[in-house]
Amino acid sequence: MTGSRRLLLLIGLTVALLLAGQVLLPGFLGPGQIANQLKIAAFLGLFGLCQTIVMAAGGQGLDLSVGATATLGGILGAALLPDVGNVFAGVAALAAGLLVGLVNGFGIAVLGVPPLVATLAVASVLDGALIVGVSVLHPGNAASAALVAIAGRGSFGVPNIVLVWAALGGVALWLLLRSAWGRRLCATGSNATTALLSGVDTTAVRAGAYALSGGLAALTGFLLTGYVGQAFLGLGNAYILTSIVAAAIGGVALAGGSAPYLGVVCAAIMMTVLVSVLTAIEVGESGRQIVFGLILLGFLVLDRRFARSAG
Amino acid sequence: MRAIRSALGRASLLPALAMLAVVVALNAWLQPHFFGRPSLESNIATFAPTILVCVAQAVVVLNRQLDLSVGAGVSLINCALAALPADLPGGGWSACVIGLALALALGAVNGALVAFLELPSLIATFATGAVWFGLALALMPQPGGAIAPGLGDLYGADWIGLPVPLLIVAAAMAVWVALGRHRIGRWIVAVGSSPGAAYQAGVPVRWATFGAYLTAWVLVFLSALTISAQTLSGDARLGQTYTLTSVAAVVIGGVSLGGGRGSPWGALLGALVLGIIANVIYFAGIPSIWQEFFKGLVIMAALGFMVSGQRRRVAA
Repeated sequence: MTGSRRLLLLIGLTVALLLAGQVLLPGFLGPGQIANQLKIAAFLGLFGLCQTIVMAAGGQGLDLSVGATATLGGILGAALLPDVGNVFAGVAALAAGLLVGLVNGFGIAVLGVPPLVATLAVASVLDGALIVGVSVLHPGNAASAALVAIAGRGSFGVPNIVLVWAALGGVALWLLLRSAWGRRLCATGSNATTALLSGVDTTAVRAGAYALSGGLAALTGFLLTGYVGQAFLGLGNAYILTSIVAAAIGGVALAGGSAPYLGVVCAAIMMTVLVSVLTAIEVGESGRQIVFGLILLGFLVLDRRFARSAG
Repeated sequence: MRAIRSALGRASLLPALAMLAVVVALNAWLQPHFFGRPSLESNIATFAPTILVCVAQAVVVLNRQLDLSVGAGVSLINCALAALPADLPGGGWSACVIGLALALALGAVNGALVAFLELPSLIATFATGAVWFGLALALMPQPGGAIAPGLGDLYGADWIGLPVPLLIVAAAMAVWVALGRHRIGRWIVAVGSSPGAAYQAGVPVRWATFGAYLTAWVLVFLSALTISAQTLSGDARLGQTYTLTSVAAVVIGGVSLGGGRGSPWGALLGALVLGIIANVIYFAGIPSIWQEFFKGLVIMAALGFMVSGQRRRVAA
């Protein structure tokens, strides 16, 4: 399915879901509700960006450590907040995430460990280390007022976190689709040998992709702390698999070589609206899981159909 | 030729065997009477469900696919067994037939989606996993229900002097050995090794993949049966950790995620290594807050050891 066709399908599906929500539950389309949905979608969209970057780098790329890294960012950031202030706490979270991402990148790009295995192993060590750290040090876990304002409140009716998402997303779109680094990333993902022979340092590009994913995941985890009010163990776990799904629905090929982040943005919004419609009509957890799985399957089948008819 | 191939097959099991020897030695050192019959019997009863689900994953991975729904599948089959009426005619045996039929149906859905609709297995089985989990929750919103008590008694029993859990694992491995002697088993591995070459050689590629999923889900059923025989109740979250454990065990066991290389015996060893590591950490008296961290470190070391070994062999 070509990029624009997919965008149209995703936007159409989102509008249909919104209308269905409005019919089933009047008030669903109110401005407050829409802002709320975008707020929730922003976090999924940012975690989806992590997966977009590493999937584009190819070699069966994916990052199963985004959840643990986000938890690290949230817990470390919240622990440092009272002493160093918002900015430095955020920078510390970002730096810690970059470091975790570099470990992933080293294992994957230098040692040649499959991404699924490498990021899973790093996540299990990190989760274990966080349990130790929290149990031994009992760090402060509350979000500051400023962080809550950034992640939870809005300016002129637009949630601040959506503005953050727009800014980071804009930079990401430029980086992935327009910059030389983005071209090297996609060249590495589509054919690492050709890219290497054309003078791309594929090892550095791959390692960089995982570092970037780690940094972004930790920063998003820090912001998530502001949204939920406090950091806790398992903060980012819900996003591990949903972020991969958002990237896949958005059109990022598992085989690598493309980074259509705009599609991922639409997919994140669609998935958020889907979940909230199901919640609004009081479908229980079991029904939500079933419908979520079926819609994902339906989308994959459609995707396959379009790919075949286009090819 | 065959001798060379089987020697190579055994060589890929060497690192996993070495790791197993180390963790067994540690366990035996820390736990008195580890080699006593009661301890061995209780260990095999505990490890059987994990071993079976790991071997199931290995069959799919050998075919160059993944199944991220095995954990939810174990939960769903467990909940279905627990939701059966207590006065079911035939008791435990008809429960087994129903459970196996359900497992085959779930495996057929996954197999059809991947083999015939050509969906990427990673995402497709993640999606079916959500559906299985949802169905399990619908059957058992809260943990409860009851498994036919006969199954629990049978699981704790001996048959011809051997514990039943051991016999179930042996039967599962015998299924794989039998398949390997038949062309279906060879097709599954051939397609995983190179789908293009297998197609050229006249292998029915789609049916081989479909068959890999069906075979795997027979083992998933056995996994669900053995865990149910121990918990004796239904829980929709029972199998949650199985999916990623099975992937880790497959890699530790030397089965390449690229398909075609390795064997389910490796996954069996990998599952044993992971199970005994948990034992060792428990018996070493490591404070509970450190347990997850150590487990993570050991798993990371084991995975790194395996993957670097594979790279050396490829380079050579």
